[in-house]
Amino acid sequence: MGFSVRELFKKYGDKVVVDHLSFEMHQPGVYALLGTNGAGKTTSIRMILNMLAKDGGTVEWNGGPLSLKTCNVGYLAEERGLYPKNTLMDQLMFFASLRGLSRSQAKERIRYWAERLEATEYLYPQQTGAKAPKPKKADELSKGNQQKIQFMLALLSDPELLILDEPLSGLDPVNTDVFKSIIHEEIDKGKYLIMSSHQMATIEEFCTDLTILNRSKTVLQGNLAEIKKSYGLINLFVKAEQELRPLIEQAGITILSSVGFSYQCRVTGEEQANALLRTLVTQGIPLIAFELREPSLHEIFVEKVGEAHEES
Amino acid sequence: MKNLDLRGAGAVFRYTVQQHYKNRSVIIFLLFLFLGSLAVFPIRALVGGKAVTETAIKKVYLRNETGFMIEADDIRKDQVFSGVEIIETKDDDAALAKTISEDKTAAAAVMVIDQEKMRFDIRTNYGADSDVKGGDADALNEVLSSALHQSLLRMQSVTAEQEALLHSKTYSQVSRVSDYLRSAEETGTDTHVFANLFYCYLIIMLNTLAMSYVFQQCMEEKVSKLVESLLVSVSPAALMLGKLLAVTVFIFGGLGLVALGLFLSFRIGSQMTDPTVLTDMVSGLFNVDFTKLHISGATIALFLLCTVLAYAIAASFSAIVGSCCSRTEDTQQASLAVVLFIMIGYLVGAMVPMFENDAAYNIVSLFPLTSIFSAFPNFVCGKISAGVFTVGLLLQAVTVFFLIKTAGRVYRMMIFYRSAFPKPKQVIRMLREEKAAARLAAAAGKEDSHGE
Repeated sequence: MGFSVRELFKKYGDKVVVDHLSFEMHQPGVYALLGTNGAGKTTSIRMILNMLAKDGGTVEWNGGPLSLKTCNVGYLAEERGLYPKNTLMDQLMFFASLRGLSRSQAKERIRYWAERLEATEYLYPQQTGAKAPKPKKADELSKGNQQKIQFMLALLSDPELLILDEPLSGLDPVNTDVFKSIIHEEIDKGKYLIMSSHQMATIEEFCTDLTILNRSKTVLQGNLAEIKKSYGLINLFVKAEQELRPLIEQAGITILSSVGFSYQCRVTGEEQANALLRTLVTQGIPLIAFELREPSLHEIFVEKVGEAHEES
Repeated sequence: MKNLDLRGAGAVFRYTVQQHYKNRSVIIFLLFLFLGSLAVFPIRALVGGKAVTETAIKKVYLRNETGFMIEADDIRKDQVFSGVEIIETKDDDAALAKTISEDKTAAAAVMVIDQEKMRFDIRTNYGADSDVKGGDADALNEVLSSALHQSLLRMQSVTAEQEALLHSKTYSQVSRVSDYLRSAEETGTDTHVFANLFYCYLIIMLNTLAMSYVFQQCMEEKVSKLVESLLVSVSPAALMLGKLLAVTVFIFGGLGLVALGLFLSFRIGSQMTDPTVLTDMVSGLFNVDFTKLHISGATIALFLLCTVLAYAIAASFSAIVGSCCSRTEDTQQASLAVVLFIMIGYLVGAMVPMFENDAAYNIVSLFPLTSIFSAFPNFVCGKISAGVFTVGLLLQAVTVFFLIKTAGRVYRMMIFYRSAFPKPKQVIRMLREEKAAARLAAAAGKEDSHGE
């Protein structure tokens, strides 16, 4: 069981857009594909799904080549849309038929997901007055509500492998929570998920493993917890009721940013942070907060992409 | 083609057809098309083709100043005027006018000879509030003209056989001796030109219609940003096939509706008029001999086959060009490319019959771009042999196969293309690169499997 990408390669003319990308998923969960704009995430996903011809590399599902025949894939694309003038129900039934669902199966699943995504009012409009309810068309929906229908299209076939490209972009906080709860459910059901997003907090919430791409190349890869652990406790947050800058700088600590008497600092390790704490306590400075923690995914991402830029 | 996955083409076809016919404007357009074709023959009958079977004229006041005797029986010989009273008169115009104004069922006919112009003039009048109408007066004029003619012949003691000989038509023909020897099988130039023009016109209409539909279908998913969501479930080839089949249904469904409308129209029109009126009109206008077109069940089957092949060539070529469009504005350039392609075939196909050259007939019937316009009319009019016709059709079928295959490749290759409409050179380069990449990937796959 599992999913693997080996040496995936693509170039347009002389420009390499995906440079030998490899990663594996041996068990269900979320794998994050991160990168700056134009790093090659969407091109990689398109090659994984055989939508785009590969110039090299293989994509395997359970030991065999991944294809429409071998794997039930659900995909929420970054470039998403619907037929604007067709009714939502017609479109959902069409997608269900493409996935080989019978009419009754399709209706049952559409009803389930409509309720789950709080979209019943668009798919099953209630009769108002004497006029029969008119089925809703895609262009009558807001962008966020269209996104719900697109998410339904990806989930209709109950996919084994779900690829979500920027799933939460453009959603309001209420709908973001609905989407997140569904993603959690899919993880609990033992599905394989590949997620691409610029919202690092979201990725941190779900993913176990990740790859960071920058200008077609892999700049960081591995288990998120291990990556963070490898960085160690290097982020120090200090908050007091008075100026601390001279003391922090005396201790050889770099201040990354400060607001009032709150300081985001980078330390070399726990010893350096402890030395600062001892100094502050000795001098009797009252502290509101003193927190030493691992770097966030956002910080790791910025650092890795920055390093890559410097190298290039 | 061995890895071609066409699963889902049926679902795409059904959905596209279903959505097309759910569109109210399409239904209204089809309804107009049907009603328009249904009205053709009845309108023709009402406007001018109606045969007169009765007349409101009961009395005819006849002032004959020609000097030739008009027999009342010659007038009554016509079934319509069999019960009409013929009253010979010498009244002047004013008196005649008074008479027909008072009698609503009377008409006055004045026949004179114009020595200067060397002709006979027949003038028939009826009252302002008369029951007699223009059609009745026209019919009477024709009968009087015929009666005068009979009178002239009788004066010369011409027998019925001699009269028939005098009225016999002349058929003239100019041809080479080789053409003369096979003239029994062959159609005259006028008929061939007519058949060719009619067929070319039909095909160019069909192809232009196909082009606009195919463009619309090729771009629909790109414009609505649905491509990626769809391609998880269906291959580009299946998507393209389903859509092309749906366009075929739209176009041939429309044509079928027109054909049904015309058929029903003919049946209705036949109740109102002599059905030969229309064929005679076309025949007279273009000097066409319809009997030489050998219209039969087999001809109709061949016509359908040729039409489908012509459509398939234009539709698949349109699919190649349409796949390169990313925005609605691109269709202008795309249309130009397709129209140019079709027009070359149309112009050559339409002109060739005028040159009356066997070699030209054979060449245009073999080369697919021109044979879609020319092969069928050339064969039906006996200008090319069955062998040349069959080879022409086979070449068309092969062309369709390669164009559809290329359309599938271009559609897949350009599905994520979002830049300006590419030049042909650019598309060819991209196709070559894609082919080279596919070869490389296949070779790598082979190496892997050997390694394993």
